[in-house]
Amino acid sequence: MSLEILLIIAFGGALFTYLVGKVSYKGRDFLAVAISLALVAFVACLYGKAGEETFYYGFLGLNLVLRLNMLSWFFAIAISSLGALCTIFSLSYMKARERTDFYFLMMLLVNAAMLGIVLAGDLISFYIFWEIMSWSAFLLISYNRGPALAAGMKYIIMSIIGSVCFLVGMLSLYVSFDTLNISQIASVIGSASSGYILFILTVFGIAFGIKNAVLPFHTWLPDAHSEAPAPFSAVLSGILIKMGTYGFLLVLYVIVGLKLFLGLGSGIFSFHSVLCLLGAVTIIIPTFIAVLQTDAKRLLAWSTIGQAGYIILGIAFGTNLALAGGIFHFFNHALFKALLFFAVGAVEFRTQTRDLDSLGGLAKKMPVVFIATLVGICALIGVPLTSGFVSKWLIYKTLILEGSPFLAFFALAGTWGTILYSYKLIHNVFLGQLPEKYKTVEKAPFSMQLPVVVLSVAILLFGILPGIPLKVIDLVGVSFGFEILNVTLRGIVSETGTLNTINIFSAVLVAAALVWLVFRSTTKSVPVTQEDSYAAGAHTPVDKYHYTVEFYNPLQKMIEPFLRDVIDEFYYWIASSVRSLASGVRRIYSGDVGNYVMYIILFLSLLIFVQMKWKVW
Amino acid sequence: MESMVAKITQIILSPVLALIVGVFFLGLARKIMARIHWRYGPPLIQPVIDMIKLFYQKGVSHGRIFDLGIILSLAGSIVVVLFLPFGRIAPLSNSGGLLVILYMMLLAPLGMALSGGQGANPNISIGISRKLILSLGYEAPLLLILLAVMTHYKTISIVEVVSAQQSTSWSIISFPLFLSGLSYFLILPAILGIRPFDVSSAPQEISSGPMAEYGGKYLALATIEHAFVLFISIALFVNLFLGGAANPFIFFVKMLVVFVLGLCVNAVFPRFRIEQAIKYLWKWPTLLAFVSLIIIMAIRS
Repeated sequence: MSLEILLIIAFGGALFTYLVGKVSYKGRDFLAVAISLALVAFVACLYGKAGEETFYYGFLGLNLVLRLNMLSWFFAIAISSLGALCTIFSLSYMKARERTDFYFLMMLLVNAAMLGIVLAGDLISFYIFWEIMSWSAFLLISYNRGPALAAGMKYIIMSIIGSVCFLVGMLSLYVSFDTLNISQIASVIGSASSGYILFILTVFGIAFGIKNAVLPFHTWLPDAHSEAPAPFSAVLSGILIKMGTYGFLLVLYVIVGLKLFLGLGSGIFSFHSVLCLLGAVTIIIPTFIAVLQTDAKRLLAWSTIGQAGYIILGIAFGTNLALAGGIFHFFNHALFKALLFFAVGAVEFRTQTRDLDSLGGLAKKMPVVFIATLVGICALIGVPLTSGFVSKWLIYKTLILEGSPFLAFFALAGTWGTILYSYKLIHNVFLGQLPEKYKTVEKAPFSMQLPVVVLSVAILLFGILPGIPLKVIDLVGVSFGFEILNVTLRGIVSETGTLNTINIFSAVLVAAALVWLVFRSTTKSVPVTQEDSYAAGAHTPVDKYHYTVEFYNPLQKMIEPFLRDVIDEFYYWIASSVRSLASGVRRIYSGDVGNYVMYIILFLSLLIFVQMKWKVW
Repeated sequence: MESMVAKITQIILSPVLALIVGVFFLGLARKIMARIHWRYGPPLIQPVIDMIKLFYQKGVSHGRIFDLGIILSLAGSIVVVLFLPFGRIAPLSNSGGLLVILYMMLLAPLGMALSGGQGANPNISIGISRKLILSLGYEAPLLLILLAVMTHYKTISIVEVVSAQQSTSWSIISFPLFLSGLSYFLILPAILGIRPFDVSSAPQEISSGPMAEYGGKYLALATIEHAFVLFISIALFVNLFLGGAANPFIFFVKMLVVFVLGLCVNAVFPRFRIEQAIKYLWKWPTLLAFVSLIIIMAIRS
């Protein structure tokens, strides 16, 4: 019964926090943090347990079931930990805002709903939690009003399309197998025809692809991520879109199963290669669109789509190493993207802007946030010794050795695009010249520094000792019917290539220490101010130039014409055609009674004419 | 115990050898360039003299990241050397293969970019922006080349690539791979940042770009770093396409041939603009590398 208690704490806690907020702000803040931390502790205690329990008998004649296994535990721990960090970050971020009670209610509700999704044991309860999540996310995205309303509307419309697809798939499964319990469906689906399985995979693929922002369903994401409040952007990018990833894992590996999934179609026309290709395209195009962005959060949003491509590629490829890489990358992405959204949020909190063309030089003003951002972008690029490297290494290695060098090329080339936008992010915000107006900026408050420090420590820890999460991920793979991987604390041992992060770590450490010694033992350097720079004898006026504007101008001119978001334009075209059609239809309702009488007479005469001519009735 | 001692000797030996070779190449490059220009040129050990002098001069510092960036950059290069086989000396080459090398090669430019970024000088910003764009330019063919090699030999370990070549023939003379080798040779000057691809460090145009604020020991460390980069990019070529070598001396001779050839071809070209460089890199080298990879895939299936 422990899963029920977990969800009762999560949902009840959210409502209770809202009520307490009506009485005291401090009490509400304390309660929100306490509940989210309690959830982390609760989930952590469930490690290694597995089981199913029915929590509601006879909903429309079906039992609602909660279920715990390694997969759902892994997602649950990521959801609850990130939720706790976001709540802590929100404390000072939301302090001076209005409607904060509502904000905390929605934030905790989203977390509770996501826990519900990963713990759901049948598709009905999955769907209920899925909708709670979608709608509370909608309310949070539009929290800031103004342009956020339009972003939220775009999100919820696409979300509803996804939900409808989910419903269609779910009802069809119910009609065919007379059950919605996930494990029961999984045991009988082998008897279905391959055309039917393709249909099921396609409808669920659209539903989860929209949430996971796979091309061509990505268009809601850039607006939603950049307009939402920063802590929620972190949840949105780190965890919420990964519910799509969870859905893919559930449908591909738990319900349909590996053999059936890989056996659909043949060659390049199989479901599995199409999904891989979608993943590869999702990596490459959004990554280069991100290079063009000047809004820090929009840049991160496009980067999210690109990184989600790696996850899809890893999952869709369907070998145990690629799957481990994909799941590990989901976890890493939750860590580093949340960190980067927090960092940008902290900068926005202090400077009131996230415009990459006007910020600069904040490294000296916000050192902790800067270091954390550095760790974050290193993990995003996949620099060795951060956890991002290990997951990408697993994916690349599998793609190369399994004979898909072109997919590997897409993935690797995406990484080099990632370097460009990551450096743009850190350079334009934290390096370069500090403008006069930001000379008085203070460092971020403690409740903002704590989450970014925790996340950067986690990134480094899992980068140097990747065995810790890989052990769990390996168990997930085993539960899908894969062979067990030879995971050690410092990487993966296999005949085709061993990863040893400890060797890399010690080599870097020793080399850096050596260079540092040389650096220290030679002549001391003279510290100078930023105005005292070399300009070949010319005088550089202070604050006249801003070096970060159009940072990649030559490249931008070359690639911009190729990177129009045609899909978004296409959706807008559909939306506007529907709107003009609807307004055409609306003209019928002129409001004039005479017209309506005419309609009735016309309709009746039509009926009479039909009857006289063809004698239908 | 004996293997332990051997390993430690190799770990110490390989960066030292790499440094000597790299610095020798720096001196040699200046000499050869001078002779092509009909000048006499500085003595071969001029880079060493410069470096010793620079270590005794005072430099300016723009802050902690300015210092740490250059340290990270040089340390990154030293680590890459440990992963590259130099003759039979290959101390850490079994810790993740070519992918690790590819990624560790990132640390050097990243450190340099961080350090330069804090320098807050317009020339540095332009230089770094160009360097990153240029690296995007040559990474496209380079990745295709590396993928072709790894797919052809069905391994991600550079040691196995070398031993496979020693048991059959060098990749540069084997059928589809010579296209990749040619492509690598064409992009080599871009990787090294020498003419006609010296857009990011153009001295007359943007005051040496990322190095504009460096003086004293910073400049010395940057020069050492450049020497390592010279060594790494040429050693990678020798390992992947010229069959490595059984001992460091032959390896060195092979490197020398590649380096001098590359220098002669490129010393007479004027500097590209950055967009011209990208257009060049994304045209012929990419096409060659792409065709080679396609042929390899076709043979495999």
